[in-house]
Amino acid sequence: MFNTHMLSIGFPAILASSVHDIKNSLTTLRVLLGQLEKIHQDPRPTEFRQLEFETNRMNNSLMQLLTLYKIDLSQFSLAIDEHSASDILEDIVAQQSTLLSLSNIQLITECHGDLFCYCDSSLISNALCTLVNNAQRYCFSKILLSAAQEDDYVVFCIEDDGKGFPENLLSSDYKQLPQVNLANGNTGLGLFFAETIAQLHVQSDKRGFIVTDNNSQFGGARFKLYLP
Amino acid sequence: MALNLSSKKILVVEDQSIMRETIKHILVLFGARFIVEAESGINAITAMRIDKFDIVLCDYNLLRGKNGQQVLEEARHFKLLPVKSIFIMVTCEQNQEMVLSAIDNKPDDYLIKPFNQQQLLNRIEKCYARKEYLASIENEVDSGNLYQAIRNCEQLLQLDDKKMRMQLLKIHAELAIKIGDFKKAEEIYQNILQERDLPWARLGLGVVAFFLGDYEQAINTFQYLIEHYPVMLEAYDWLAKAHELMGNDEHAVSSLNSAVTLSPLSILRQKKLASLADKTQNLPVAKKAYTATIKLGKNSIHRSSGDYSGLANFYLKSNATNEALKILGELNQQFHNDPEAKLRAALLETEIHQTKGNKALAQQSYGKAFKLNEQFNKRLSRELRLEMAKIFYLNGNSETCDGILSDLIKTNIDDKLFIKDIVKMCTAIVGENYAETLIQQVKKELVDINNKGVSLFQEGNIKGALAVFEKAVASMPDNHTIILNVIKIIIHGIKTSKPDPEKILSAQSYINKAIQVGIPHHQINVLQAELDSLSIQS
Repeated sequence: MFNTHMLSIGFPAILASSVHDIKNSLTTLRVLLGQLEKIHQDPRPTEFRQLEFETNRMNNSLMQLLTLYKIDLSQFSLAIDEHSASDILEDIVAQQSTLLSLSNIQLITECHGDLFCYCDSSLISNALCTLVNNAQRYCFSKILLSAAQEDDYVVFCIEDDGKGFPENLLSSDYKQLPQVNLANGNTGLGLFFAETIAQLHVQSDKRGFIVTDNNSQFGGARFKLYLP
Repeated sequence: MALNLSSKKILVVEDQSIMRETIKHILVLFGARFIVEAESGINAITAMRIDKFDIVLCDYNLLRGKNGQQVLEEARHFKLLPVKSIFIMVTCEQNQEMVLSAIDNKPDDYLIKPFNQQQLLNRIEKCYARKEYLASIENEVDSGNLYQAIRNCEQLLQLDDKKMRMQLLKIHAELAIKIGDFKKAEEIYQNILQERDLPWARLGLGVVAFFLGDYEQAINTFQYLIEHYPVMLEAYDWLAKAHELMGNDEHAVSSLNSAVTLSPLSILRQKKLASLADKTQNLPVAKKAYTATIKLGKNSIHRSSGDYSGLANFYLKSNATNEALKILGELNQQFHNDPEAKLRAALLETEIHQTKGNKALAQQSYGKAFKLNEQFNKRLSRELRLEMAKIFYLNGNSETCDGILSDLIKTNIDDKLFIKDIVKMCTAIVGENYAETLIQQVKKELVDINNKGVSLFQEGNIKGALAVFEKAVASMPDNHTIILNVIKIIIHGIKTSKPDPEKILSAQSYINKAIQVGIPHHQINVLQAELDSLSIQS
């Protein structure tokens, strides 16, 4: 067989060390970008913003790939604990801070300090980061990131003032998966990931889920993640 | 709160110079003045020996030598990190936390690469805030004053800070388990589980059942957790312990083996697996685990000569004597100044030469072992001493064997598992009731000491009684009855004379010792309460 050599190492090990290498490269890339940014003050080329966006995206996709792979292997379990929702929002803002500093986009957060949720916080913040990163690309000037209690769920919501989701990524039905079609090469991995992670969060007979629509208070896209 | 790092001593451990530069740059922006860089684990340890750092940022994947986890273990082992310092492990992978999950040593927090300025600072800030909040507990834990730590924890809980509530409850329950107050721990976990099915609280309930001796209930809980959270390594470790105490060593091996497959990097778990697999004659697993332990041990403080002799012994049992000798060669090379290692090597050499029918060489090796034992016996690990007793008996020296065995029984009389090992060895090699007779002798000796001390006490000779028990503690440092009697006498002494802070300290240190050796809570807490009321008066 042509692949016996690979089998002897084991694909999980290959994947793990590839991820490790790519992550180190990404880290170095970001450091170098930061150094270049310092040289190119006023007027700073707009390409920097694009570069920052792309490195964020590569990083997020990589994390998602690895997590989904482990879920598929059943080598995965959630690290559920009680977390403050405002801490999670703060993490996301920190992760996005470099990109924000390169644009004129306003990222507003709204959350009660006493709101707590039960979740795997690093996974949830990873899923939300991807979507906020995308929102930065598709909005005009404003993103609202909020968390609130709705009945038995804590709901994280991202809304912007852009043109809204395209038709194929919309679902108004709570129980319905958004029409994510990974096979046609379209985006939507971020939503798919968020939905997968949400579904893993279970409390008695309730399960997490996501909803996408274009009812943002600013007229653009709105994404909601429900955690029981 | 704007973080100011100007007064903090910071160590950055990272093998890539470009990353070190970046991290340093961010830290300087926020006022840091004292930053030391280390590009390897060894240099990090050296730096920590020279300076006491407030913050250590350590990359997990260091290219050569020790990895981040090994740096942390060594730093904690040699107490190079002050209690108030924070250690942040920088990793590449989100779930590495679980994969790395070391049995004992966890960093204060993890930081996932790549991170930006804001993320790094947020992490440091949060760690600091938490550390400061919990300082009143952690300081007492560090000094061994667990009862005071629990009181401080309860005080913080009364402040009703919602963000800290869960963490405090978790600490409270863990401390309750440490002092043996299982009822309290169970109550805390049950209350949390009524709010939400949190995996760590369920694990806690299993641990409580384990300590209460309800192994079946404990096993059920751990199995439930593994089914629902297949990557929860602690559940596998506890499941193995419970199986071991039930006498199901095979089940224990299979549980640890699953954990090791998920997380092959924890040396302590590999070590435990190796010795259990060895015990159950599961040679393939033993070989794999010993080999892994030796490899992981190269950069670890947990390396030991026993790993090498274990593997050599495996080869000996598989009739691969040349392989066995090769491993012994490595053992001698790696531990050339270690008497315990030399002794292990000599013992195995004896067996190997015997197997090969080489009587003269076997005799020579035995002579070497005998001499080393004479020189170092009491300083050797108890497992090795038990092994020595067996070899002496097999070589016709039953007197030395007796001496070792009664000393081992005396010092370990309260450790059921180890006494079980002694009985097992004796039954297999020496004879049915051999160990039992020795155990009865030791128990009688204990009763005699006790009676002598108590009668002196009743005669009013407090000093004399204390002397009897303190002498006994010196020869049997882990014996429950004796420790308890020492504490009672000291407390009585404090009550009947002038307040004496030194005596209070001495009593407290024996109470801390009592917790350490696992004396049940209901026996200690009365004494602790009495001592507390005395220290308030003085």
